[in-house]
Amino acid sequence: MTQRRKWAIIPGLVALAAVAALLSAYTGAMQQQQQQQAPDTVITERGAWGYSAASSPQGRAPVQPIAFPHPTHVQTLGMNCLYCHFAANKSTDPGLPAMSTCMGCHLVVGPNRPAMNGRPARVSEGITTLTNYWKKKQPVPWVRVHYLPDYVNFPHMRHVNAGVTCQTCHGPVQKMTRVYQYASLNMGWCVNCHVGNVNPAWKARYDCSVCHY
Amino acid sequence: MSENPAQSGVRRREFLKILGAGTATTAAIGCSSDRVEKLIPYLTQPDETVPGVSNYYASTCRECSAGCGVLLETRDGRTFKLEGNPDHPLNRGALCARGQAAVQGLYNPDRYRGPMIRRNGKLEPATWDQALQLLSQRLGELQSRGQAGSAVFLNRHESGSFPAFLDRWLAAFGMPAHLSVDPLADHAVLEANHQSYGVAWPSLSFSAARLIVSFGADFLETWGASVPQQLDFADARAKLEGAPRFVYVGPRRSLTGCNADQWIACKPGSELAIVNAIRGTGSIEQAAQASGVSAAVLQALADEIRAAKPSLLLAGGSGANGTELALAVNALNQQLGNVGTTVLPSQPITSFEGITPAAEVAAAIERMRSGEVQLLMVRGLNPAFMMPAAARVAEAIAKVPFKVSFSSYPDETSELCDLILPDHHPIESWGDAQPIPNVLSMQQPGMDPVYDTRQTADVLLQLAKGSPKAAAQFTAPNYMRWLIANHPGGTDAFTASLQKGIGSGTVERPAARRAPVTVAKPATPIDQTTGDFYLVVYPSPILGDGSGANKPWLQELPDPVTKICWQSWIEVNQKTAQRLGIDSGDVLRLETPQGAVEAPAYVYMGIQADTVAMAFGRGHTAYGRYAQNVGVNPGALLPVGFDPRSGGFVWTATKVKLTKVGTFTPLVTTEGSARQHGRGIAQAVSVDELGKLGTEQEEHEEMPGDASHAYLPGLRSPLASDATGEIGSSVKRKEKGMYAPDHWSQMAQRRWAMTIDLARCTGCSACVTACYAENNIPTVGAPYQEVHTAFLHGVPGGNILKGREMNWIRLERYWEGGEDGGDFEARFVPMLCQQCGNAPCEPVCPVYATYHAPDGLNVQVYNRCVGTRYCSNNCPYKVRYFNWFGYGEPARPQYAWPERMSWQLNPDVTVRGKGVMEKCTFCVQRIREAEHRAKMENRPVRPDEFTTACAQACPSKAIVFGDAADEQWSVARMAQDRRAYHVFHEMLNTFPAVVYLKKVNHPAPAAPAGA
Repeated sequence: MTQRRKWAIIPGLVALAAVAALLSAYTGAMQQQQQQQAPDTVITERGAWGYSAASSPQGRAPVQPIAFPHPTHVQTLGMNCLYCHFAANKSTDPGLPAMSTCMGCHLVVGPNRPAMNGRPARVSEGITTLTNYWKKKQPVPWVRVHYLPDYVNFPHMRHVNAGVTCQTCHGPVQKMTRVYQYASLNMGWCVNCHVGNVNPAWKARYDCSVCHY
Repeated sequence: MSENPAQSGVRRREFLKILGAGTATTAAIGCSSDRVEKLIPYLTQPDETVPGVSNYYASTCRECSAGCGVLLETRDGRTFKLEGNPDHPLNRGALCARGQAAVQGLYNPDRYRGPMIRRNGKLEPATWDQALQLLSQRLGELQSRGQAGSAVFLNRHESGSFPAFLDRWLAAFGMPAHLSVDPLADHAVLEANHQSYGVAWPSLSFSAARLIVSFGADFLETWGASVPQQLDFADARAKLEGAPRFVYVGPRRSLTGCNADQWIACKPGSELAIVNAIRGTGSIEQAAQASGVSAAVLQALADEIRAAKPSLLLAGGSGANGTELALAVNALNQQLGNVGTTVLPSQPITSFEGITPAAEVAAAIERMRSGEVQLLMVRGLNPAFMMPAAARVAEAIAKVPFKVSFSSYPDETSELCDLILPDHHPIESWGDAQPIPNVLSMQQPGMDPVYDTRQTADVLLQLAKGSPKAAAQFTAPNYMRWLIANHPGGTDAFTASLQKGIGSGTVERPAARRAPVTVAKPATPIDQTTGDFYLVVYPSPILGDGSGANKPWLQELPDPVTKICWQSWIEVNQKTAQRLGIDSGDVLRLETPQGAVEAPAYVYMGIQADTVAMAFGRGHTAYGRYAQNVGVNPGALLPVGFDPRSGGFVWTATKVKLTKVGTFTPLVTTEGSARQHGRGIAQAVSVDELGKLGTEQEEHEEMPGDASHAYLPGLRSPLASDATGEIGSSVKRKEKGMYAPDHWSQMAQRRWAMTIDLARCTGCSACVTACYAENNIPTVGAPYQEVHTAFLHGVPGGNILKGREMNWIRLERYWEGGEDGGDFEARFVPMLCQQCGNAPCEPVCPVYATYHAPDGLNVQVYNRCVGTRYCSNNCPYKVRYFNWFGYGEPARPQYAWPERMSWQLNPDVTVRGKGVMEKCTFCVQRIREAEHRAKMENRPVRPDEFTTACAQACPSKAIVFGDAADEQWSVARMAQDRRAYHVFHEMLNTFPAVVYLKKVNHPAPAAPAGA
């Protein structure tokens, strides 16, 4: 390589650096803008695991078509998670309640809520929306909160049956007025449990091909 | 390269800094995961479905007339995989490539979305109400004019309830019975069987025979029910010492012929003379003269046939004297006492009863041409493609005032029609089949219809309701109810049968029409036609009658014999090619008085010197993006002529004039070399030497490629052994992790392995398609997928010409001998990732994306892979495949699953992205699923509880998969077979987990061993 050619690299690299700097500034600005423009996504609380990373949407709490109150169903009414997420202990997929599951109760528990527990009588906006969907025979388009990439296979039933509580990964859903992503769901966070670094010490196979195929 | 950093323009460190900044920025842009994904719940959860768990519906395959039982694997309302039904008496769990590809017909992107009506010369979308009203009105007009008797209904042949139902419906409207057309049927054999045995198709017992002689009967391909025949043939060959020898007589060595121990190349049409000589009704010398085979060979064959008891003689091919040949063979079977031992007319296959001779279809087409036919209805057939161009079918159909097509696809025939009432795909339909007497194979939908189609039977029922006369006869609200009402045993029996997919009883068959065939155009004997070469046109073993051409899996599946895909070719004998200066790929022109075609030459040892051959199935002028303008149709060359006795169409009908065009078209082939070059990839042993294998094991260990028996039990990989401190024990690591056999995960106690019995493997390639279906492997050869090279742009198979095929398991075919023009041997080897214990690919991966799992799998972690391709470069088996393009990304031109092909994708398997290496991992998703299931039921995985997709589909049961470390698994026993060997292990020390069992050859009795 001649001396001259070597020097010719410099402008190229400078240009690359400039583009990189510009891009990074631009995305930073874009992200700021997005955060300002999108109040739908509110970061409410960080998970307790501390394994968050830039690529994880940990803490994301998207606005749902119906502000489904998990606390009312779980804490007040004492419903079990598996009543609605019925496949969590028997399938890789936890299961999403069918509209008929909701309406099983909400045909009786209608939008007009009487005064109860010191709260005045009111019309429930959520139940109104739900019954409207049901009347139109349309499903509720829930927004996904917990998302794993396609190349990860997460069998819910193996975890549930091993005694891992729903809250371990999903956080105190029973207290969440709007569900947010509690844990980072990053691989390090997964592996931490699989190798037994947590208390109580669960352990599971941590070979790549256990989850990635 | 030792440069002084001070002299270089940029210091390395600075360069890395800049590079790092760039990467970080890219990462920030690329990985923002604030994607909004919706979760849509069911309105009402269907019974017995659990999200993420497959349901299996037992049904019947309708890709050919055989009627094999299938299980439709369905999840979240979509059927994505077909597997053979293990309880079905016909196919016993196996399924061929065409059956596997049925899902690609279901989700075909070119299917009609709904009914179409021709308005102003153009087919336009319509509603079902409009379409049915139009047909109803036309039917009414036809009846009132008294012309209903002229109507023609062409239906794809099937057994079961529908044909009789259809005839009843036609009768109610005053129309004649339908024509039941099977383009693949060997009419000559059907007719001869009827004459000899009174049934269309007796069961054949290959296992009972000591000698099999096929006179052009391709029983592993399109002749008869290929899957059950293949199962039985493989079982017969697996008997090794007691296995039958197999001799194939014919002008072209087909896939079936390649499985024979001896091929006798005769002139087309001369098989009859040979059979007559063997029977004693003709002389050997005459036969030798007619066939071009030496009298000594024929005498040896005759002696062998007379000596072997029992034997099984089969006739096939479709020459002008086909029925005579089949009758002669039947008589010979009778004479030799084979009827009742290897030919079993008492256990017939009923699938082939009631097929209309092709001559009758041709007569109907002539009636159309003369303007007699007022209404034509076509279901499941494409006469404009399957009849030769000389029959001018399109022209005749155009003469019919009103043409209705029930086709689901825009094929050559439906494009001529005035009304399209698209039928459901069989996976969406109700029905039944009667493959065996007293056995009903149930057909039920696996899912709701993909498009706005309707099952033809339901359409007919609805039309009947509009006609006062027919309404009384057809009271059932739909065809399912009609089936239930007519099911032997009623509703309860029907429900019980659906669970298993098999019912008992017999359903009504259309009235037998065994009138003597009248043939208007008897075929001219082939020797009286003009030309330099005999032309053999055979149905493609993969594409069948051409109906498979719109399925990219089948287009991309290399022909089992020539290894060519996405292309048509002309087979030329090597000596002839030498004489004429033809090389593989030289474009040849074949000409007959009927027409001409041009295609590249494939120089082939397995064709008689004065014969050329072409496969039928490609060369569509319509039929969607995967079929249109792919290959050429040899039908253009054929004259219209029929066997006067059976009315079957004569395919081997003419001689052709061959000229070299002077241009060159590279063959779209997946083959590297057709010879083994002494590498011992496909090994074989003569049956006489089998005994030696067990006793002289030590010597065999020295053979290149032979198994090192010392490590066979458990197939312990050196890696695992190392972890336990067995090898290189000087360095003992404290923590061996999951590689320690006593690790709590017990992962290292397993060793997933596979045996492939080459004595069973026939090379049919069903495993390849099964693998595509299971593992979301993209097809890369569709014309629209090659977009980067000017001269290959839009060329079918363009990507494959560049070596970009993606078949994780491929069928390698090697030739042995035959260089001197004599007989040769074909050896088939399914080649897949060998899951080497000492894998060459693993240490070269810079990012640890491929590594050895403790349970013996050579894992490829797609999300770790950065696409250096070092692993592929270092793999001696060449079983790693690289995603050169974003085949899984809908926005890219190479997208392999255009709407709604993507519905077929297996939800358990990652769709790999651009720039990622991929390969077989022994269906790791099935391993994990079995482990999940076992854990859920609190038990260990049971021996042979599950298997891989290739092993599941294999119609020869050649592949056995399992845990070789556990003696209870079949694979552990199979791996210790005396015929076991590993490919390349002795040379490269790879310790593969795939064990091949040597093919067993059966040389002619008189010939010395090893010949």
